[in-house]
Amino acid sequence: MNSYYAINLLIYAGVDIIACLALNLQFGVAGIVNFSFIVFQAVGAYTAAVLSMPPDTAPDYSFQIYVGGLQLPFPIPWIGGAIAGGLLAVPVGFVVLRKLRSDYQAIALLVLSVIANTVITNARPFLNGAAGLALVPAPLADLFDPATYGYFYVGLTAVCTALVALVAFRIVNSPYGRTLRAMREHEVAATAIGKNPVALKMTIFIVGGVIAGLSGGILTGYITFWAPSVWLYPETIILFAAVIVGGRGNNLGAVLGALLVPVGFEEVTRFIPSSIGPPGLIPALQWVAIGLLIIGFLWFRPEGVRPEPRRVFEGAPD
Amino acid sequence: MTSRSDQPMLVATDIHRHFEGMHAVDGVTIEVAPGKITGLIGPNGAGKSTFMAVLAGTLPSTSGTIVFDGKDITRLPAYRRARLGLVRTFQLPSEFARLTVLENLLVAAQHNRGDSLFGALMGKRYWIEDERKLVQQARTLLKRFGMTAKESDYAGTMSGGQKRLIEIMRALMLQPRLLLLDEPMSGVHPKIVQEIQYYLQDLRHEGLTILMVEHELHMVERLCDTVVVMAQGKVIGSGTMSSLRKQQEIVDAYLVG
Amino acid sequence: MSLFVAAFGFGLVSMSVIAIAAVGFTMQFGITNMINLAYGEVMISSAYVAYYLNKAGISIWIGMVVGALFGAAFSFLLNRIVYAPFQRKGTSYLGMVIVSLAISLMMANLLLPIVGYYSVSYQEGTGGLIRLGAIILTTNQILIIGIAVVVMLLIHGLLKYTRLGKAMRATSANPTLARNCGIPTQRVVDAVWLITGALCGLAGVVAALNSDSFAIANGAAFLITILAAAVLGGAGQPYGAMIGAVLIGLITELSAAAWSPEYKEVVAFGVLVLVMVLRPQGLLAKRGAMAAAG
Repeated sequence: MNSYYAINLLIYAGVDIIACLALNLQFGVAGIVNFSFIVFQAVGAYTAAVLSMPPDTAPDYSFQIYVGGLQLPFPIPWIGGAIAGGLLAVPVGFVVLRKLRSDYQAIALLVLSVIANTVITNARPFLNGAAGLALVPAPLADLFDPATYGYFYVGLTAVCTALVALVAFRIVNSPYGRTLRAMREHEVAATAIGKNPVALKMTIFIVGGVIAGLSGGILTGYITFWAPSVWLYPETIILFAAVIVGGRGNNLGAVLGALLVPVGFEEVTRFIPSSIGPPGLIPALQWVAIGLLIIGFLWFRPEGVRPEPRRVFEGAPD
Repeated sequence: MTSRSDQPMLVATDIHRHFEGMHAVDGVTIEVAPGKITGLIGPNGAGKSTFMAVLAGTLPSTSGTIVFDGKDITRLPAYRRARLGLVRTFQLPSEFARLTVLENLLVAAQHNRGDSLFGALMGKRYWIEDERKLVQQARTLLKRFGMTAKESDYAGTMSGGQKRLIEIMRALMLQPRLLLLDEPMSGVHPKIVQEIQYYLQDLRHEGLTILMVEHELHMVERLCDTVVVMAQGKVIGSGTMSSLRKQQEIVDAYLVG
Repeated sequence: MSLFVAAFGFGLVSMSVIAIAAVGFTMQFGITNMINLAYGEVMISSAYVAYYLNKAGISIWIGMVVGALFGAAFSFLLNRIVYAPFQRKGTSYLGMVIVSLAISLMMANLLLPIVGYYSVSYQEGTGGLIRLGAIILTTNQILIIGIAVVVMLLIHGLLKYTRLGKAMRATSANPTLARNCGIPTQRVVDAVWLITGALCGLAGVVAALNSDSFAIANGAAFLITILAAAVLGGAGQPYGAMIGAVLIGLITELSAAAWSPEYKEVVAFGVLVLVMVLRPQGLLAKRGAMAAAG
């Protein structure tokens, strides 16, 4: 296995794990069907990009038009990306999460995802429209020679993944996580025992947004590019498939799902020669398979490969 | 759990609840005395459950005021009322199905340092003490209500009567001042009905105030100190069961036997 | 000024297309409780069916009928094979939304290798131009408006005067009660999917006819506009959907004239958000009841 391939795989695995952990917090634990998840990753990516790129008047960059261009050093762009994800969650959550019934919420978020992509694509001066942002500076690239940079980036991604995993673990396995699960199970009963569902949902929506934004920063720093074609609305569905397949409501299930679906699935189909059939057949069939995975698991095993564990407390009777 | 005083625990004044042209609650005024069990009876469709939901804050009232232990709670949302000690149970089973029985109780506790984002992020050591204390408290309740063996089972797998007990225990974890029970015996095995009855009487002895909707008139007679009768969204009488039996209109409208 | 009058004319056509689609969509939700996110894909599929017939020399008006039949058959099967079993299993509303989204994704991607990415259009003369003051419409567009009016009248007749229509209204208001009153809910549901599927298929061909060109990617855009119209009028209310279609059709065309045609769906989305925030039950309130307007 050549090292470039391994590095690529590990970085994407890390980003997917981070994204699935965040989506699991929102969907698996708190019950928010966030069909616009990819938008939060995109906002983080765009923010990290425009914070780290030089202004569009700079010599090599003048073929693009975008706002920002503050050329800030690492890690500020990534922190900015994470904050942007959280900030976006505030107005979106405010509109969608308060009074709407849950299926309306899901629809509104789905439509937001489609519309956001349309708007960014068409508003060229904002983020360079359909062409997207290119030549995004790779963080700390000048400190390493090209051969070792990849390993550095893997390490960086691993640190971020560990951090997110810690946060997710602490939230899920705490009394707070229990409150979120209760709200998911029966929201009205949760209010009857003093829980404020709006505050709980907003908080987790924002936390998920922050993590999603960070994942966007990591991705864009690696591929040095970010455009609307990367974050079309079906991308969220892959993550949903991952969380459903892996097992929702628990972190291990989310990690497993990330490894099985976006990583494992993509890797397996990578080896099918793309010359079979009409052009674009393989990617199209990948999507069909994702749909089948979702429907299949929802029918046969909705709890996922690794279901939410039953909590037994120390000193419990046998 | 109690406030022994002569002030009524709850005063609801001229409560109206209109929805889509229907007057489910049409000008209801009641006072709930502290430390007593008050029954709320009436034929189907009288508006009893709607009224309970309005008291709890699950449904907004169209007009009227509610004063709980001297405090005007008319504008407060349901979760705030619960935190003040006004706790309701539901007619249909509403346990947290994929939480264990013990977790159902633990989640109701109010004072757990780990029950916030900050507390969670601080890690286990920050909240483990609170948690241990609450586990003790919950286990004591489970023992009292005879469900110790079930603590680690999913609440959703329990029988109807057991779910009812879980809901009552869950409400008790909040250390309520007024318990609103919506048909606590419905759908419950007669043997457990007996048990629930004893528990409620015990709780009343300990000073808990209870307002309960109930259909079974014998039950009402045995348990309730006073009874309020509703029909068609209005109160048509209140007092002890024996005094109510003497009022002909009420007997005609509702009381049989 | 005449720009806006012309836009008003386009609005009339737009609202006609949207009305046919939105009424079908909202009836699916009102009677079977299903937010069918695959609706847009079924529309596009029917448009392609008509396209292939058109390429083979068959008139687009016959293509419309075939498209409607295709839509009816497909939607009926979709419900029988996928949606109904999941609903019987007790899947939550959210679960059903996820299922329908998965179906929509699968449909779009099964079609892609067959029809390709590039847009296509119908070979049909637009017919002459008709002028009414500053309003300029092609004969085809006038015909589309006519078709929409006829369809609306047929639906009104169905709901108000036929036994099936009354059964539909009863099932929409209270399915358990309806079943207990002896209404064969299974058959009503089948009929609903056939009829709304036909509307969906017809709407797809009509929408494609009204555009210069169309491709798979248009499915999502259709869906947003239909959602906006249905929610604005009151989810589950067919007469509401008609009103919603009128408003959305006008608003989007007028905004296209005032700003830019690329943002039509964005405007529709804006309306959707406003409705959800200010008046989620829509204009004709009473969720689940299909009372006639006025």
